[in-house]
Amino acid sequence: MPPELEQEYTLDGDRAASDTVREVAAEVLEAMFFTEAALTNCEHSWLRSARCARIRFEGSHCGEMLLGVSAEAADLIAASFLGLEPMELTDGERGQMIQELSNILCGAMLSRLWPESKLALGSPELTPWEEWPGAGNLHRCFVIPEGSLGISVRLTAQSGVKE
Amino acid sequence: MAYSVLIVDDSPVMRSFIRRVLKLSGFEVGECMEAGNGEEALEQLRAHRVDVILTDINMPKMNGEEFLRRLCADGVLKTIPAVVISTDATNERIVRMIELGAQGYMSKPFTPETLREELERVLGDRHASRT
Repeated sequence: MPPELEQEYTLDGDRAASDTVREVAAEVLEAMFFTEAALTNCEHSWLRSARCARIRFEGSHCGEMLLGVSAEAADLIAASFLGLEPMELTDGERGQMIQELSNILCGAMLSRLWPESKLALGSPELTPWEEWPGAGNLHRCFVIPEGSLGISVRLTAQSGVKE
Repeated sequence: MAYSVLIVDDSPVMRSFIRRVLKLSGFEVGECMEAGNGEEALEQLRAHRVDVILTDINMPKMNGEEFLRRLCADGVLKTIPAVVISTDATNERIVRMIELGAQGYMSKPFTPETLREELERVLGDRHASRT
């Protein structure tokens, strides 16, 4: 990928992409985690201890999504997802739930942004939060009753982008 | 009369979630079995009676596409309706899975109500005659 093509097509400033991230977060949290998500101003100190997952996608669009959920919120929504008490969760379930949430958010977001495209999602990986430098990345923070949630999305290749 | 359901997904938390949503939906579930991929699912299907299958697509060993292909090639098992549950809601993927033999397709996120409606739809006459 020639460097001059990278980030040529950006998500930041794309109104449809911004609206889609907001709508998808609200719908996924409500339907499958039985909670609510509302956009809020970014204040990232909580992300240092957040549970995070990264998921890559490729096909007609290539890029990645990073999800961070504040630790307490992660336990509460995992318990809600599984119908358990937070104390009953295993470490494995905590990690799998963040991976599953990132998978659902990313899949729903991409399908809605580019319904006619051909995309493949990678396997979500647990990872520390990372602030992506440079313009072109779409980032939104949400407040949920249990804590905070942050989503960043970026496109990493331009060659296959089809509108 | 309750239905026996086979949940095929490589994510244990997703299998637990689907079990939970089935319960919340009010859909009458009798035996609820699980498999982590298509290969395990075919083994379960040969050993147990199953009324309906809920399957993921991206799984190790045997993915959802190959699972549906083998299911539909089996003279006995092909009569069991399969509903795909996936994060991928692109038109191409939906069409492909229906062409491979899936009777229904649900994209995540979904609610207990939409799951029940989809199960009742794919079970069609079988459901109507039982209720």
